[in-house]
Amino acid sequence: MSRSARSPGALRSPALWLVVPLLLVMAAGFNLPLLVMLGRSVVGAEGGFTLAHFAEVAETSVYTKVLLNTLRIAVITTGLCILLGYPLAYWLRRLPPRWQMVGLSMVVIPFWISILVRTYAWIVVLGNAGMVNRGLLGLGLVDEPVSFLYNELGVIIGTVNVLLPFLVLPLFAAMVKIDDRLLRAAETLGASPWTTFWRVFFPLSLPSLAAGAVLVFILTLGFFITPAVLGGGRVPMIANMLDLLVNQMPSWEIASAISTVLLAVTLALFVLYLRLTRLEEST
Amino acid sequence: MRRTVLWKALCHGLLTMGFAATTAFAQMGNAPKELRMLESGGPSGDSIEQAYIKPFTEKTGIRVVRESPTSTGKLQAMVQSGKITSTLVELGATNVVMARTLGLIEPLDWNAINPGPLFEEAKWPDAFGYQYFSTIMVWRKGEKPLATWADFWNVKEFPGKRALPDYPSYTLALALLADGVKPEELYPLDVDRAFASLEKIKDHVAVWWKAGAQAPQLLEDREVAYSAAWSGRIVENDKLDYTYNQGLLMLSYFVVPKGADPAAKSAAMGLLHEMSLARNQAVAAEVIPYTGASTEIEAAIDPAKASLYPTSEANKKVQALADPVWTATNAKEIEKRWQQFKLGL
Repeated sequence: MSRSARSPGALRSPALWLVVPLLLVMAAGFNLPLLVMLGRSVVGAEGGFTLAHFAEVAETSVYTKVLLNTLRIAVITTGLCILLGYPLAYWLRRLPPRWQMVGLSMVVIPFWISILVRTYAWIVVLGNAGMVNRGLLGLGLVDEPVSFLYNELGVIIGTVNVLLPFLVLPLFAAMVKIDDRLLRAAETLGASPWTTFWRVFFPLSLPSLAAGAVLVFILTLGFFITPAVLGGGRVPMIANMLDLLVNQMPSWEIASAISTVLLAVTLALFVLYLRLTRLEEST
Repeated sequence: MRRTVLWKALCHGLLTMGFAATTAFAQMGNAPKELRMLESGGPSGDSIEQAYIKPFTEKTGIRVVRESPTSTGKLQAMVQSGKITSTLVELGATNVVMARTLGLIEPLDWNAINPGPLFEEAKWPDAFGYQYFSTIMVWRKGEKPLATWADFWNVKEFPGKRALPDYPSYTLALALLADGVKPEELYPLDVDRAFASLEKIKDHVAVWWKAGAQAPQLLEDREVAYSAAWSGRIVENDKLDYTYNQGLLMLSYFVVPKGADPAAKSAAMGLLHEMSLARNQAVAAEVIPYTGASTEIEAAIDPAKASLYPTSEANKKVQALADPVWTATNAKEIEKRWQQFKLGL
């Protein structure tokens, strides 16, 4: 077995060799197709290296607009998840342990329901003949059913609903680790409850919040089902566009170019995510 | 100890690879006891099973395995990788033309198919037209009935939200029909005129649907008052009313991927023969109200139900036949303009 100057023990470890078959399967089944896709984006019609596909993506305003639209929806979704998720996690933290279990299970149980079923459930709740609209009409608050669905509002509601647990659960886990004694120490030093929160608690929860936000952002970028079902065709996101380019056109070179851009953005964000979680572990 | 672990890991790895290789080899070079086809699934797939596959298997003893859903992307993946996993692939007319341009399909052996009498548009050299379907106007029972697409566009006299297909190949043609273009003069589509026509209605369109099942569901949910929909989903629905007038008639085809196994291909021609017979098509029409391409279908179906089917005499003559060649040639530009249009909604 070869020796490495940095970690002489690692390569001799039997555990590594047990993982090798799995790594081979992953390399063949995941990494290789990914590389083929990346390669497809830079290979021209005759077979040579070309950046023409990227040029076409950049020049076609539709693709760039849809990418920007997707980024915009991701920002809005992340913002809403933070606004809703942070207070929820904070409130869960302060519950007595048994109620914490109840609260957590209410956040987690929707995870076990298929995303497609959850998305369609929104149609039952928010549709023109759905519960909310019938309530509003019955109470006389509106004359016509409000359009919650088949527009951007519907997509954002559906996406926030699906991704909120991704923010709340890690955030809750980090908040629970924050020592109460630190907060009490701040109080004995004369800090008001607001100051205690803002200058002691919040900075300690910030790395986990930021990591969760980056995670939600990355996941929204790739969302397909929710915009397809709840968007009514008027919320073009990049995943739906890729479905068109891959399955219907088919324009695999353009799809590969767009996918490569998306992958680059996601990788950059993922590096950011790793940095933030490492920050969290060191505090 | 380490060496034993390494040895064990290598052995396990080689065994798995060897197993995978033998199963792969076992599937090559089979005389066709089994035929695989790629089709759109749902009740359409059931109709193929009951009407065409049953008599075919009885005659020849060859089993037919259906896979779904189908797409041009899957066809391209098969042909480019060289692994033809389905001998017959179902594609819409426009996609057939696209596949032909990309060099993905093979000519059919019409002598071997030996079809019953078929409409001309179903007999392409490289595709077999097996199922007509129509895009028609639909509304909930009790709403004011529509007669033409101009009525559909008329929100004053026929108030209510609308739903249209999120497919430019359908919706642009409907927009032109609404603007007064005669069905015979529909193609080549005047795209600018079509988009101008869509500008008039777009604020009243609540949903641009993508899945065939969405249209009837939206109508039943009272999400919209009027919709364009695929006829098979509508005609047997008690809650909805429809008209075939000015409907857009289209054809779905079966094609053979380039590089398909010749033995499997000749067996598949026998299945296509079954699909051309009026009596089988009548059985299929019982499962899903779409008809095949036989010219003798009128005689084979229950006359009371003739009004349900796209190609019954009365219905075929009031509809516009879509032109897949034009649509396919211009597909990329139309799609880009369509996405641009949707971004502006």
